[in-house]
Amino acid sequence: MNKIMYLEFERCIGCRACLAACRECGDHEGTERNYVDYVDFMESRQTFPMMCMHCKDPACARVCPANAIQITEEGVVLSASEEKCIGCRNCTFGCPFGIPKFDFDQNKMYKCDMCYDRSKHDIAPMCASVCPSDAIRFIDYDEMQTLRRRRTQLNLVEGRKPSEQDKWQYVPEFFGVYTD
Amino acid sequence: MQQLERSFYSKASMYSFFVVTILIFTMWIGTGQFAHVDMMLFGYLIGSIVFALGITGRMVSWSLRPATQQILKRSFQNLRTRSHKQRNIRAVLKTAFDNIILQKFIFKRGVYRGMAHWLLAWGCIGSFAITFGLTFGWMHFSLIDPETYQIVVMGVPTIKMAADGLFAELVYNGLNITAMMVLIGVTMALIRRTTSPDAKVTQRVEFDLLPLYVLLAVTGTGLVLTLSYKFLGGFMHPQLSLLHQVTVVLFLVYFPFGKLFHLPIRPLAAGVPMNYRETVDTRPCRSCGEIYSTDEQIIDVKGILAAQQFDLQLADGSYLSDYCPACRRKMRVMKQMNLEQPPKDPYAPVETMSGIQPPGFGRRRTSGEKEDYHE
Repeated sequence: MNKIMYLEFERCIGCRACLAACRECGDHEGTERNYVDYVDFMESRQTFPMMCMHCKDPACARVCPANAIQITEEGVVLSASEEKCIGCRNCTFGCPFGIPKFDFDQNKMYKCDMCYDRSKHDIAPMCASVCPSDAIRFIDYDEMQTLRRRRTQLNLVEGRKPSEQDKWQYVPEFFGVYTD
Repeated sequence: MQQLERSFYSKASMYSFFVVTILIFTMWIGTGQFAHVDMMLFGYLIGSIVFALGITGRMVSWSLRPATQQILKRSFQNLRTRSHKQRNIRAVLKTAFDNIILQKFIFKRGVYRGMAHWLLAWGCIGSFAITFGLTFGWMHFSLIDPETYQIVVMGVPTIKMAADGLFAELVYNGLNITAMMVLIGVTMALIRRTTSPDAKVTQRVEFDLLPLYVLLAVTGTGLVLTLSYKFLGGFMHPQLSLLHQVTVVLFLVYFPFGKLFHLPIRPLAAGVPMNYRETVDTRPCRSCGEIYSTDEQIIDVKGILAAQQFDLQLADGSYLSDYCPACRRKMRVMKQMNLEQPPKDPYAPVETMSGIQPPGFGRRRTSGEKEDYHE
């Protein structure tokens, strides 16, 4: 997999098409695994899409007593394998980003798997393929680097210069799985 | 215990040694000082011992993981506390009955899946019980008089039964019945795995399908064996029994290392409601005050993360797990968009990291060069 997910929270218009698309994905059984929330409802109508970061060393997998959360060779962090998940919900509290969801009825955790059947063939995940404002994009690694660079340049134009301590704050959120 | 452990190579080797010693000791008792070891089952015996070694090694390495250790510690601690003893034991028994005996939660994922899994699981467990009972000589049959059989368990005579009665038939055909259960279950599971697009998303041939094929081979050859001596007058019986033995030994050796290993770790699920759900959630989120978990669970999660050098402490000394999932998501976004702190001048436009102004913040959204940089 050479493509990565690229998120720009500011571009979200709150249409929730990504949620609807997520429900349609294979193996999601009609439940959405991503989120669209208000940043601060009292201040503005700004929403943001949120999905799993697919960490290299996921905290959710580390706090799982059953060793149920597996990472594919492409680097996608999958939902807890159904045969192992004991339903303790540790992952939902261990995740620094609040991503895993829990189904009390079926006693299992489920989370964004980057539409594994699609993204492993370099097809955009459902959410990225429907987002009308490009808040969620599934792009090449190089394209992402160009976008980040442009964004940094823009900050420089605005007179805010990144220093060694906070340079990473000047690039937008990006995550995903890529091989370099 | 510590001293004893140090005289072995590792924890796993210590427990493996004990398990094998106990197995051989029970065999010594069960077979009357090895008087009636069934030599026909010798291959199965070796396979079963390798199986026991594999399971022990895997169980030990699994229980050494920080997360597993923590929940095991919590479970035993809860079982020992006096104040809620009755409630805790009731919770464990109820969960064990619902989750392991009836497997209700799988039926909620689909009745078809539930049926397939229930048949598979109990077919396998039943077959294990009978196979291990016979290979280790824990039980055998003895003829009291020409009409009556007796089951001898561990050298202790137990139930007497008429040699051609209904109960006796059920006992003789025990393995056939469990094999039929497994066969139906395996067929259902294979059909689901090959036809359902949902199952295909993450399934892997070597992990999800191989165990089903192995089980199919075991039950298939086993049932053909019955067919041969019941209806075909023992046609090719020696060859078929050898074939069955080979498949069973392969199955036993494979068991601890593949998907089927979820069987011995599953009982841990029985402790979960006792530890974390028996009391209603009581812990409020540090930021929004919504109740999202219990104190014990958050302490455990923090402990597990600390044991693995995850530094998720914030500047104000709180941990990320002190916040509810929704607040954690929000914190990430606020940080990203530079909206964390209240603005110095409440009337000035908000400065986000990217220079794009979220709508509703005063400044006009399209202001020339800001919008076209993505083109």
